[in-house]
Amino acid sequence: MSTSHSRAAGKFLEDSGYAKWHDNTFWGVRAKRDTMAFGLDEWERLREKASEIKQHTLTHIDRYLEQFADAAERNGAIVHWAEDADDFNRIVYGILAEHDVKKLVKSKSMLTEECEMNPYLEERGIEVVETDLGERIIQLKGQHPSHIVMPATHLSNRDVCELFEKELGTEPGNDDPVYLTYQARLSLRNEFLTADAGMTGANFGVASTGEIVVCTNEGNADMSTSVPKLQISAIGLEKIIPDYEALSVFTRLLARSATGQPSTVFTSHFAKGRPGGGKLHIVIVDNGRSHWLADPDHWQMLRCIRCGACMNTCPVYRWSGGYSYSYFIPGPLGVNLGMLRDPHRYSGNVSACTLCLSCQCVCPVKIKLGDQIYQWRQKLDDMGEANKEKKRMCMAMEKVMGSVSLYNKATSMLRYVNSLPSAMVNGSLNPWAYGHKMMKFPKRPFHEMIKDVEKGSTDK
Amino acid sequence: MGNRKDIIERCREAIAERLPRPSLDDLRPTVYADPLEQFKITSTAMGSRVETAASASEADAIIRRAYPDAQLIASALPEITIATRNPDTVESAQALNGTDVGVVRGTLGVAENGCIWVPQTMKERDVCFISENLVVLLPASCVVSNMHEAYARVKVPESGYATFIAGPSKTADIAQVLVTGAQAARTMTVILLENE
Repeated sequence: MSTSHSRAAGKFLEDSGYAKWHDNTFWGVRAKRDTMAFGLDEWERLREKASEIKQHTLTHIDRYLEQFADAAERNGAIVHWAEDADDFNRIVYGILAEHDVKKLVKSKSMLTEECEMNPYLEERGIEVVETDLGERIIQLKGQHPSHIVMPATHLSNRDVCELFEKELGTEPGNDDPVYLTYQARLSLRNEFLTADAGMTGANFGVASTGEIVVCTNEGNADMSTSVPKLQISAIGLEKIIPDYEALSVFTRLLARSATGQPSTVFTSHFAKGRPGGGKLHIVIVDNGRSHWLADPDHWQMLRCIRCGACMNTCPVYRWSGGYSYSYFIPGPLGVNLGMLRDPHRYSGNVSACTLCLSCQCVCPVKIKLGDQIYQWRQKLDDMGEANKEKKRMCMAMEKVMGSVSLYNKATSMLRYVNSLPSAMVNGSLNPWAYGHKMMKFPKRPFHEMIKDVEKGSTDK
Repeated sequence: MGNRKDIIERCREAIAERLPRPSLDDLRPTVYADPLEQFKITSTAMGSRVETAASASEADAIIRRAYPDAQLIASALPEITIATRNPDTVESAQALNGTDVGVVRGTLGVAENGCIWVPQTMKERDVCFISENLVVLLPASCVVSNMHEAYARVKVPESGYATFIAGPSKTADIAQVLVTGAQAARTMTVILLENE
């Protein structure tokens, strides 16, 4: 009865000490988020406004996209439109090739992960250097992010120490995070100074001003774009917001929800290329978004501001890790986005939810993540993705539960299960016995016992 | 190549119902009785050192005291007479590498989160990030309570760039241990100018 997620989660849980550490780590981030949220009287009102602004923007996105692109072009930025991932990669490569770029430094962008841009550029001879520390670590390790905000948190300082010793030549055995961070700083500093172009993602695109807004703690987006003269910023079309008033709402929610800070250290506004010959290219990406917008059940996923709070709070994420999900974004967000992307390919993730709905309680833009996972589950059968075993069981149960005589007969027979040999009851043929022993059934079913009790009380 | 018209048209067709924009009039955001005092508290919590001066002419002495070993000081501000490098006249952004202390001006501070709006007024803005230590001069009268008030007042200048900076560069990407000094400045000092 297992799904791709539950099988992978089973592997994750084999190291129970690590699983516990993982749970504690992300719950700690959730707790920091709570401290920030409870510190503002207006927190819930702020979430409501953010949700409404996003709904308004998405249902006027045609107009805001036009306004954004016009303003950006007036500023002097060069605006490109990418239909899909291939289109995006071609556009970016085209810009880089035109400027004879050999090395690209980039700040974190889940959009470039979505489009698998790095391998595309690398195959064409361009060196791509991730400059967010976490992203750099997993790039050197040949991995993908396990979380959208804290991409390398699945690794310990010991793991990073071994990696840096091999890749950066750091002191053997020195696993002090301060030392390791400093060594990465020195190494990346050299990359910034020798890069031919810098790339950023975008947290927001401001329609009224045509600006790209990027939020980081490390300052790596700013380093990437203040040393090389060529800048490319990639933005999913749902990241456009109307104006500074809207931005003031989102910037108050983003870092508090993401990492429990009142703000990211840097909130940078890019309107045009640098003085003295700099160029700013903005690539606006659709890649399925305009189709999702037309989906009456799931268009609200486009409200997401990518804070990662839904992952930190999710008990399934905390106890199974980012790599247990088959889509590149994990957690409640990834389950939903994977289903929008390709429901047949990613349906193995919809089981990764207990429907506790904690994600909905923390989401800064109030997306009903859990409700939507429930909705996807209802659609699995029609898509031909329902679990066959479960389906047969449900059909049998429907029959039994639908008939009083069958139900009475079945429940009165259950006690005979107790006398069957354990190997049969607790064996692999019974999926309910996985991870625990089957229960002992009472001699008589509950509905018969309760009749006696009721009789006894009326007799008195 | 995707084209603007197709993508925008597809979005237009996808929209079922246009929903209204909410007013923020009933948001009632937190406003501090003394925003300056709160700004000092938050900035300190974000990892900055906060100093007070009567005017910018005192900044040189404060910087010397705060960074006694600094040799290479970069600033385009006329008040900073101890500067050894000028971001306006260096030949490239790379030439600012190795700067011990970069000194710039902020125009607005935000009490709720310690953010300071730093518009690019210099030719090479990497002085704000490449310097080992960053000093930001901020008029004490220019502090507001929250981001709503802040965004009602700021504007990106003609240079095309501005950033809110709230403390030294940080990361917790290795084992969730908070380390200051990731890719940008390792320390930050805010000098509040009382007479401006």
